Amino acid sequence: MKSRKQIWLWHLLTVFILLLLGAGLWVATKKIDYTWRWNRVPQYFAYVDETLVPAPFDARVASLQRSGGSTAVKLTGENGEEKTFEVDNDSLKVSENEELFQGDYLGSVSSWRLGPLSVGLWNTLWISAVSSVIGLIIGLITGLCRVSNNPTLRNLSVAYIELIRGTPLLVQLFIFYFFLGTVLDISRILAGISALAIFAGAYVAEIIRAGIQSIPKGQMEAARSLGMSVPQAMTHIILPQAFKRTLPPLAGQFISLIKDSSLVSVIAITDLTKSGREVITSTFATFEIWFVVAFLYLLLTSVLSQVISWVERRLAISD
Amino acid sequence: MIKTVDLKKTFVGRGQTVYAVDGVTSHIKPAEVVVIIGPSGSGKSTYLRCLNGLETFTSGHIMIDGVDLANKKTDLNLVRREVGMVFQQFNLFPHKTVLENIILAQQVVRKRKRDEAEKKARQLLKKVGIAEKENEYPIRLSGGQQQRVAIARALAMDPKIMLFDEPTSALDPEMVGEVLEVMKQLAREGMTMVVVTHEMGFAREVADRVLFMDQGKLVEEGTPEHFFTAPREERAKAFLKQVL
Ligand SMILES: Nc1ncnc2c1ncn2[C@@H]1O[C@H](COP(=O)(O)OP(=O)(O)O)[C@@H](O)[C@H]1O
Ligand SMILES: [Mg+2]
Repeated sequence: MKSRKQIWLWHLLTVFILLLLGAGLWVATKKIDYTWRWNRVPQYFAYVDETLVPAPFDARVASLQRSGGSTAVKLTGENGEEKTFEVDNDSLKVSENEELFQGDYLGSVSSWRLGPLSVGLWNTLWISAVSSVIGLIIGLITGLCRVSNNPTLRNLSVAYIELIRGTPLLVQLFIFYFFLGTVLDISRILAGISALAIFAGAYVAEIIRAGIQSIPKGQMEAARSLGMSVPQAMTHIILPQAFKRTLPPLAGQFISLIKDSSLVSVIAITDLTKSGREVITSTFATFEIWFVVAFLYLLLTSVLSQVISWVERRLAISD
Repeated sequence: MIKTVDLKKTFVGRGQTVYAVDGVTSHIKPAEVVVIIGPSGSGKSTYLRCLNGLETFTSGHIMIDGVDLANKKTDLNLVRREVGMVFQQFNLFPHKTVLENIILAQQVVRKRKRDEAEKKARQLLKKVGIAEKENEYPIRLSGGQQQRVAIARALAMDPKIMLFDEPTSALDPEMVGEVLEVMKQLAREGMTMVVVTHEMGFAREVADRVLFMDQGKLVEEGTPEHFFTAPREERAKAFLKQVL
């Protein structure tokens, strides 16, 4: 009972320190006279877009028909042509039998649209997901080559791994975009995804190699002594066990990839980071937006790590 | 059934050459139980591993059922499914249940249907006396139980020959008996067996022939009676003195 109470006190201390840090930040921003405008942030996730509806030709308003929140405006042209438009009730600018000229507004239609932050979040999400999957496949193949008996396959995989791990991702992105993008005529998004996938693949390969080599030799021997071929033993015996062991480092790798994907903003892909920058140029809410962007990355990475730890628990039944 | 002619296996590493198996010639007949004994490092495991192609050999010949393992055209996977092997460390597949351990190779290698493989697996589990553990994972079994599952797993492939590499050496003493019992039953049923073991009681009781190896060479061979009572070679005498 006593020790439990003490733990509770320690947690309280943690909260206190965090509050203190928050207060410090607040005081610091007060000093530089920064006005927080959190209320400006939500519109960059989603906003109501109003589209004005013009009359396409000189016409007379034949009838107005209300139904629910919108009104159907029926126009009759000078040559007898008819056309009907839907506009929101409260935006209606015309009355029945009114004569209109071409281009006069009948009213407007409003609808919800995704703001740049949502679009950026979505782009970051799918770019990371696609590069992760491709990176996993590349890494798996390279990892298998790395442990194979064929010297050429081994050499090639080592060369690839060393090349990628020895150079910065930012430089690789530029090479993919400016060099390969020009030579092979690929789009910026393809260049970005390829660079991320090939980057992740090199790290995944090393993780897979370590995983395979961590499985006792006896497993392969037992499988082979039962008459399985090497590919059969790999798919049924070695890789499933290696996968279980490599799950934590692989998860770390994919979490890194989500974060590293922010670098694709330098080749003008509208990911979360680039969207954040764009929003800042129009709002000047610099601090708020960067905090929000950071939080969104944190959201993505923590959801992924939750999913992975769920898979890990599922696989732990044979331990 | 198994013929080896002047079998040699050398390991080259760190500038020195180890003659692990150094000119072994022997002929193991169908339904024969051969026990190999010898000091540690004498090449017993290496010899056994050559017999089912887990180890490639440097020179000589191994003929299994008339198939020459030295021939490059021989598909070793086809040979291995006829030659079961039981290891000192059991080597069960830890991510699969007992039943799945026994079913897997039947399906993958022998292309048996799931229910056929399951039937076979249950039959063998009953035979080795652990029918009730079929849904356990290997880690939850005792060493003796694991080794019996390993034997069942090898038997599920309907091998013509069974190789045992010190099957009881990693077991607690009280579990040695249950594994040897299963092996004795196999021997009675007429399985061709090559057993590396330090269980002299088993060798005496079950073996048709004992091979004594030392430093990669087949030093002496004979019936257990001959070998345990009147060995000719000095090295065999010295070894027996130590273990008996
Ligand atoms: N993979 C290997 N690489 C190098 N030397 C080995 C290897 N396997 C076995 N040896 C050597 O071969 C000899 C015979 O080993 P082994 O067949 O395991 O003997 P035993 O099973 O009789 O104890 C030993 O000297 C051992 O060190
Ligand atoms: Mg040995």
